[in-house]
Amino acid sequence: MRRAPTWPRHALMIAVSILMLIPFYWVVKTSLTGENIYAYPPRIIPVNPHLFNYVDVWYLIPFPRYLLNSVIVTAMAICGNLLFNTAAGYALTKNFPGRRWVVLLFLSCMLIPFQATIIPAYLITSWLGVLNTHLAVALPLLSTIICIFIFKASFEAVPKSLIDAARLDGLSEWRIILRIMLPLSKPAIATNIILTFIWSWNAFLWPLIVTRTADMQTLPLGLARFLSVLEDTTGALYAFVVLVLVPGLTIFLMAQKEFIRGLTSGATKG
Amino acid sequence: MNWKAILTNRFVVLPLALAIIVGAWNIYIALHDDGLITGEVRDASGAPIPGAAVIFFERNFINYQEKQRVTTDARGAFRFTDMNVHVGQLEARLPDGRNSERRQLQLWFRAQNTLVAPLIIGAAKS
Repeated sequence: MRRAPTWPRHALMIAVSILMLIPFYWVVKTSLTGENIYAYPPRIIPVNPHLFNYVDVWYLIPFPRYLLNSVIVTAMAICGNLLFNTAAGYALTKNFPGRRWVVLLFLSCMLIPFQATIIPAYLITSWLGVLNTHLAVALPLLSTIICIFIFKASFEAVPKSLIDAARLDGLSEWRIILRIMLPLSKPAIATNIILTFIWSWNAFLWPLIVTRTADMQTLPLGLARFLSVLEDTTGALYAFVVLVLVPGLTIFLMAQKEFIRGLTSGATKG
Repeated sequence: MNWKAILTNRFVVLPLALAIIVGAWNIYIALHDDGLITGEVRDASGAPIPGAAVIFFERNFINYQEKQRVTTDARGAFRFTDMNVHVGQLEARLPDGRNSERRQLQLWFRAQNTLVAPLIIGAAKS
């Protein structure tokens, strides 16, 4: 039987990819030229591109400080996520009284938007005495329910006989997680890292509420501050946007295989 | 431990490459950030102009303001020191009112040592 040619499908996918990449191209092009984004007719090819807008961003605002804050907060969120979500995900694979209720509680909590919980979250953070610290910014992302379920789904896919054998060999529950579960759950770990990275890196509202000084602000807050301080700086603004986007894109491109595998395994085995 | 596998892993290679690039760039900056801006002032025929005032305008958020002023020597050369800026404008002026065009200066990093192309002061308008 003669197979249908694949090129129409590939051509369509390439066309759709180009369409989806146009906004990114436009952001990068504007960052390199600084031209008016409302200019008509728009120029497709950049004219006299240069990198000085990036130098401007680096020096006109405390960009390195914002970057450092974002890196610290994201690292804390990722570490917290891996620790707490692993423990919670493993616990939910066990049979204990009220397990269904706990799962139901988690699922119902997912229905509540974060904005609705901001005041209690702020009061708790204030009560802990950590306002205006990196910990305060990272606190709500130290454990996320979606990621708990991703770990749960991944752990449930591990054969029970393997866990029983480990237990017979005398491994404690923590060592079972570290030695058996986690090495077999690399896609789940990658998904956790990427999702937490994206959420933490792009968080705006919560850092805006819990930070009080400019030296504790993260990149999205820096972007808003940049907009409020400088006018007529289209090129520098877009350069800032590119600098905020690049770390997330890099991490996603590095781990996209594990990311997609982790998401799909979570979708089919939960 | 399989070092070859670790060192060829993309999670190691990319951060390592970035760290090397950033480190090399910072070393280059450390070796070239004395804040020296040098150049010459010439007339339209290319002859050096001694005694011309060269003014450096520093950018603030709204406009450019004079930051430092030096005078060219017998060879028409000028030299600014300790210029801890990354962007500004240069202009040469003569006592008779003639001046050069303002030259936009954009540096790759703050206090970069820079050799500016000659500032040209045209003939007096009749």
